[in-house]
Amino acid sequence: MAGVGRTTRLSLQGLAAYSLPVISFVAGVVLWQLLISLFRIPAYLFPSPSAIVQVFFTGHVNWLQQTWITLNEAVTGAVIGVIVGFAIAVVITLSAPLRKILMPYIVALQVLPKVAIAPIIYILLGFSNTSRVLLIVILTFFPIVINVSTGLTDVDRNLIYLLQSLRAGQATIFFKVRLPNSLPYFFDGLKIAVSGALVGAIVAEFVSSNSGLGFLILNSQYTFNTVAAFGAFTILTVLGLLLYAAVIVLARQLMPWYRSG
Amino acid sequence: MASVVVLENVGKRYTTVKGKEIHAVKDVSLSVQTGETVGIVGPSGCGKSTLLRLIAGVERPSSGSIHREAAGGHFIVGYVFQDSSLMRWRTVYDNIKLPLEVVKKRDLGNVDRLIDLIGMKGFERSYPIELSGGMQRRVSIARAFVHEPSIILMDEPFTGVDELTKEALQTELGNLIRTLRATALLVTHDIEEAVFLSDRIFVMSPRPGAIVEEIPVNLPAVRDASTRSNLEFVAAAGRVRAKLLELHAMRVEAAT
Ligand SMILES: Nc1ncnc2c1ncn2[C@@H]1O[C@H](COP(=O)(O)OP(=O)(O)O)[C@@H](O)[C@H]1O
Ligand SMILES: [Mg+2]
Repeated sequence: MAGVGRTTRLSLQGLAAYSLPVISFVAGVVLWQLLISLFRIPAYLFPSPSAIVQVFFTGHVNWLQQTWITLNEAVTGAVIGVIVGFAIAVVITLSAPLRKILMPYIVALQVLPKVAIAPIIYILLGFSNTSRVLLIVILTFFPIVINVSTGLTDVDRNLIYLLQSLRAGQATIFFKVRLPNSLPYFFDGLKIAVSGALVGAIVAEFVSSNSGLGFLILNSQYTFNTVAAFGAFTILTVLGLLLYAAVIVLARQLMPWYRSG
Repeated sequence: MASVVVLENVGKRYTTVKGKEIHAVKDVSLSVQTGETVGIVGPSGCGKSTLLRLIAGVERPSSGSIHREAAGGHFIVGYVFQDSSLMRWRTVYDNIKLPLEVVKKRDLGNVDRLIDLIGMKGFERSYPIELSGGMQRRVSIARAFVHEPSIILMDEPFTGVDELTKEALQTELGNLIRTLRATALLVTHDIEEAVFLSDRIFVMSPRPGAIVEEIPVNLPAVRDASTRSNLEFVAAAGRVRAKLLELHAMRVEAAT
């Protein structure tokens, strides 16, 4: 009997864990729809969920193409940012002089709200894909540098002693201890980087583009096409979730030995 | 009998980040002979871990000298740490294999032999996170033996393990040392642990750690649970305890 009771309680907990967020979300959308209809709020002020769904099928906007442009920029920038960030993290952990030389720039970039650079990049590099990607690189490389350099440094002292006692050199210690130790830190940085990449793509399109979801949002503002802007928000939310989920899946695949928390 | 390591008047001073000088180890002279297990007992902070780092060669003494004898080949240590310090990204098998990779030994036969000896067959592919605390200690011990080191250095290997598991692990470790005819140096603040595993014990004073007494342990080589009620076991533990208490009292007196 006790066993049955436990099973029931467990499954109830499980049900609550998975269904409560879903119920909350669906209820929110329904409430939203009802409030809009009840108060007859015009779509150009605040569109209803059904209006947003309709906007994907009206044919004025090529949603797939616009999404692809933004996603392409975000992913290109993120990949470059991650590579650059990782390289800088390795350099500043391995070389004390280089760390000291680069530190002021890293700290300055850390405190600067990086999107503020966007209009200037546009002046320097013009109305180009390069300038958009560069802003995304700046936004993504940063969390990688911070997290990976922590992961490369924050190692169990005893493991270093162990390898030194076996007469291992710096290279062996790097590849056998520091690098694997940094993996969980890297993935934490990557989670921040992918959301930064989307922010960067949108801001870059605000200032220097004539296509993509960011341009679409800006354009909606001028034309009072609020529904289209909400369509773009919806797609960006889904993209953000998918990128975040991809990072988590990748982390699970590459680190079966890791459990967070 | 040949010595494996000989320490002559070894001292170690550290300068802290604030510029304060810390005299961690003072004037330590001792030797460890092939095949014996030597225990060093002292209060925490007296320089035990420092002494092991000096012997392992990862730090240099500020004064005195350390002679390391290599029996056919070069001197190399096996290291067991207080909190097992396994690589969490490596399986049991790969953790034990690590020293062989670093010293570039091709023959991996010892890995399987040790997994067998520590009773961890079937867990080769498990990660540290999937093991109990006791199992993690076993793996870290196997890692220390796998490359057949000249001496096994053990730094409070069972701190934080519950009492019953600790006694079982101590018995297993003693058997492993005997089976593999290893030479070992054990530092600990656990008096019973030192007596159970050692052939002789050095008592260390509080910082600056100096060796103040050598106490022989006249117990048979083969030891098990019954050894703990052996009269000689109780007597040796009593002598170590008395010396530590005396040192403690002296320090309290000096401070008041
Ligand atoms: N790298 C270091 N820098 C400064 N002080 C140290 C360093 N390592 C150890 N000490 C100091 O030396 C003393 C002995 O430390 P330790 O060998 O760890 O003692 P034990 O292992 O016996 O507890 C302690 O006071 C400790 O704070
Ligand atoms: Mg210690």
